[in-house]
Amino acid sequence: MLSRLVLRAAPAALRALPPPVAVGVLHTTRPLHTTQQSLAPVPPLPEKGGEVRHGFIPEEFFQFLYPKTGVTGPYMLGTGLLLYLLSKEIYVVNHETAAAACILAVIVYGIKKFGPDVAAFADKLNEEKVSAAQAMKDETMRALQTAIEEEKKEQWRVEGRTYLFDAKRNNIAMLLETNYRERLMMVYNEVKKRLDYQVALQALKRQKEQDHMIQWVEKNVIQSITPQQQKESIAKCILDLKALSKSAHAAV
Amino acid sequence: MNLSFFDQFSSPSLLGIPLILISLTFPALLLPSPGNRWITNRLSTLQLWLINLITKQLMTPLNKKGHKWALILTSLMIFLLLINLLGLLPYTFTPTTQLSMNLALAFPLWLATLLTGLRNQPSATLGHLLPEGTPTPLIPALIMIETTSLLIRPLALGVRLTANLTAGHLLIQLISTATMALSSTMPVVSILTFLVLFLLTILEVAVAMIQAYVFVLLLSLYLQENI
Repeated sequence: MLSRLVLRAAPAALRALPPPVAVGVLHTTRPLHTTQQSLAPVPPLPEKGGEVRHGFIPEEFFQFLYPKTGVTGPYMLGTGLLLYLLSKEIYVVNHETAAAACILAVIVYGIKKFGPDVAAFADKLNEEKVSAAQAMKDETMRALQTAIEEEKKEQWRVEGRTYLFDAKRNNIAMLLETNYRERLMMVYNEVKKRLDYQVALQALKRQKEQDHMIQWVEKNVIQSITPQQQKESIAKCILDLKALSKSAHAAV
Repeated sequence: MNLSFFDQFSSPSLLGIPLILISLTFPALLLPSPGNRWITNRLSTLQLWLINLITKQLMTPLNKKGHKWALILTSLMIFLLLINLLGLLPYTFTPTTQLSMNLALAFPLWLATLLTGLRNQPSATLGHLLPEGTPTPLIPALIMIETTSLLIRPLALGVRLTANLTAGHLLIQLISTATMALSSTMPVVSILTFLVLFLLTILEVAVAMIQAYVFVLLLSLYLQENI
C-alpha cells in the first residue's frame, strides 16, 4: 500500500527536486526500475554538475544556511565542528593524521596543478566528437546544396535543348545540301569529260583528214612542177626583185 | 582510536562477518556508468578514454585469439589501480595488501595462460623452457631452471604486489609516527621528516599505479608466449 503511494508520488517528487539531485536519485534507483523508461516528458538533464565550493561542499549547503547565519555561517560550523572533535578527542591525533595531511597535500597539489589541463583535455575529446559529427553534417548539407544547384543548371540546360536541336538540324541539312551539290557537280564533270572526249575525237579526225589532204595536194603540186616551169618562175622572181629593189632605192 | 601498525593490514570484519568482499566493491563507486548520452560529462569521457588507452596498450602485442582476454585484463587493471590508489587515503583498508587476495588473482590467471599454451601449442610452450643457442652440456640444468622460473611466476606476481604495497604503507605509517613523535621534542627535525613523508607519499602514488600496471602487463606477457 505504501509502495503504491510511493510509486504514484515518485514522478511528481522527482520533478520537484532540483535537477542535479534528480539526476542523482534517478541514477541510484535505476536498478529498481522494472519497466522501460517512458520517453515522454522526461525532465531535461543538466549539462554540467552542481557547483561545489572548496572541491567537495555543494553550493546548495551555503545557500541553505545563508538566511539564518549569513556568509560566514557554514565556515563557523565547520571550524566549530573540527575543534569540538579535536578537543573532546572524538578524533584522536595519531600517526595517521600526519599521513592524512600528506596525502591531502598531494591530492590538492595534483588537482590545482593538473585540474584545468585535464578538464580541457576532456572537453577537447568531447569537442572533437561533436565537431566530427558537425563536419559530416555540414559536408552533407553542402553536397546537397551543390546537387541542388547542379540540378537547376541541368534544368536550364534542358530549356536550351530545342535551340541545340535546331542548330544541329540546320547543320545536317547544310551538310546534306553540300553533299548533294558536290555529287551533282561530279556528275556534270564526268558527263562533260565524256562529251569533250567525243568532241576531241572528232576534231582530231578532221584535223588528220585536213593535214592528209594538204600533204597530198602539196605532193601532187610539187610533182607537177616541171623543170621548164621552174626556170620561168625563177626568172620572174629575179625581175620582181630587181623592180622591188629599184623602188626601195627610190624610197630611201 | 589507538592504532598499532598492524591494524591497517588486518582484514576488516564486523561482528565476525568478513567485510573484505564489500571493500572490494568500493572502487566501482568511483566509476560512473556512461548512460544514454552521446556527449558525457568530463568524468565519463576521461574514464572512457582511459579504458580505451589501457585496452589498446594491452591488446596491441597480442594476436586475435588473445583479444578474448581484453575484458578481464582491462577490468583487472582498473580494479587494481583504484584499490591501490584508494588505499593511500587515511584509515582505509587496502585489499591488495593481503597475500591471499593477490595469489587468488595471480594463480588462476597464470594457470589459465599456461593451460591455454599447453592445450593449443604444447610443443611451442615446452620449447619456451629452453632458450635458443644454449650449449649442449647446459641443457638439463637450464631446463630445470626454466621450469622453476615458470612455476614460480604466480607466486612472484602475488608477492610482488603484496610486498610493494605493504612495504609502502608500513613506511608511511612509520615515518608519520616518527613525525608525530618528534613534533613535541624536535620540531625542526619533525618538519624534515614531514618532507620525507611528503616525498614518500608521492612515491607511493607512483608505486600504486605502477604495480597495478606491472601485474597486468606480466600477465599479458605470459599470455603472449602461450596463445
